[in-house]
Amino acid sequence: MNIKRIIFWLGFIIILALIVWGVVVAMNKEIVPPVQSDGSPAPISATDSVRGPEGAPVTLIEYSDFQCPACAAYYPIVERLLAEASSTVRFVYRHYPLPQHRIAEPAAQAAEAAGRQGKFWDMSGLIFVNQLSWQDLSPIQAKSVFKGYAERLGLNVANFEKDYEDSAIKAKISADYRDGQTIGVNATPTFFVNGKAITNPPNYESFKVIIDAAAAESLD
Amino acid sequence: MNHLKLLLTRPLQKVSISAAVIVLIVALVGFADSTYLTVEHYRGVIPPCTVVAGCEQVLTSAYATILGVPVALGGAVFYLLVALGAFAYIEGRHERLFRYGLALTVIGFIFTLWFLYVQAFLLKAFCQYCLVSAVTSTLLFVMAVYIFKRYRATL
Repeated sequence: MNIKRIIFWLGFIIILALIVWGVVVAMNKEIVPPVQSDGSPAPISATDSVRGPEGAPVTLIEYSDFQCPACAAYYPIVERLLAEASSTVRFVYRHYPLPQHRIAEPAAQAAEAAGRQGKFWDMSGLIFVNQLSWQDLSPIQAKSVFKGYAERLGLNVANFEKDYEDSAIKAKISADYRDGQTIGVNATPTFFVNGKAITNPPNYESFKVIIDAAAAESLD
Repeated sequence: MNHLKLLLTRPLQKVSISAAVIVLIVALVGFADSTYLTVEHYRGVIPPCTVVAGCEQVLTSAYATILGVPVALGGAVFYLLVALGAFAYIEGRHERLFRYGLALTVIGFIFTLWFLYVQAFLLKAFCQYCLVSAVTSTLLFVMAVYIFKRYRATL
């Protein structure tokens, strides 16, 4: 094997390595905030589902889609965050049902309908945890699954069913979606910490760091 | 079937270098694409759901792995082998390596058809990166057919 051939093959291997390296670098760049505009989410309104103390130093707003696997994966992370930083975080859940998810909107209606009876968070928990069992159903089948959750939560099922179809609830969901669009939400979940979009943290620990930093900043 | 046997046994003659270069380039594009998907799989980052397409539905589905191995990794190895074969031919006229690489594209194409079926009919969601791979593997298959027809040695 002469030098020329060795160089040739080395060149080939270097090209392969460059491809792998380029891909990894491009991916690390890619996870910077999914939000493109500098828009800030609308202030908390009376129709919002809110948890946590009113004067909390950190307001966490999530634009989420019940049928999105990533949103379901963030559900336990957010729950743990709210449990362990209960005095510092005020959490707002807003709907961003993506068009390709057929059951995202029905699920949002179910959560809002349960919210009328004070069980928004319990219902959204059940919806997220059981995502795999309803994601492939038709909207009608999904509705009966959600009705089953309402029974499990001890809700007044007749009222739940009525509210499920309520136009005010549907309007609230589409208003959330439109608000999200105007501030540039293009992926779910998108989190805003004190009005600023954050890069989705890969795990609980890094999420906690962001929350703690925001709390320290606003207490200064 | 007989064709496949021929393809494994009968050598190719004087394949034009430009044909091999095209195979090499397409295989490298496919390699980059499936490397991306493989890294994404192992990085363990939860892919967010985007407005444009259903990548997350496809990539988190049961069809994205076979016995725990991400199919993207299989794709990356496949493109790597095809690229190696093409490069070996360009560099040192290793006819046999090139031919085996081209024979692999038949298997690649069968997988492509299966994954297109899965996306269109079972998941009803498409993933852009998977579609890129469908294009590259189809192109490789077409190139392989062309090369075998044109350059197969006559006995």
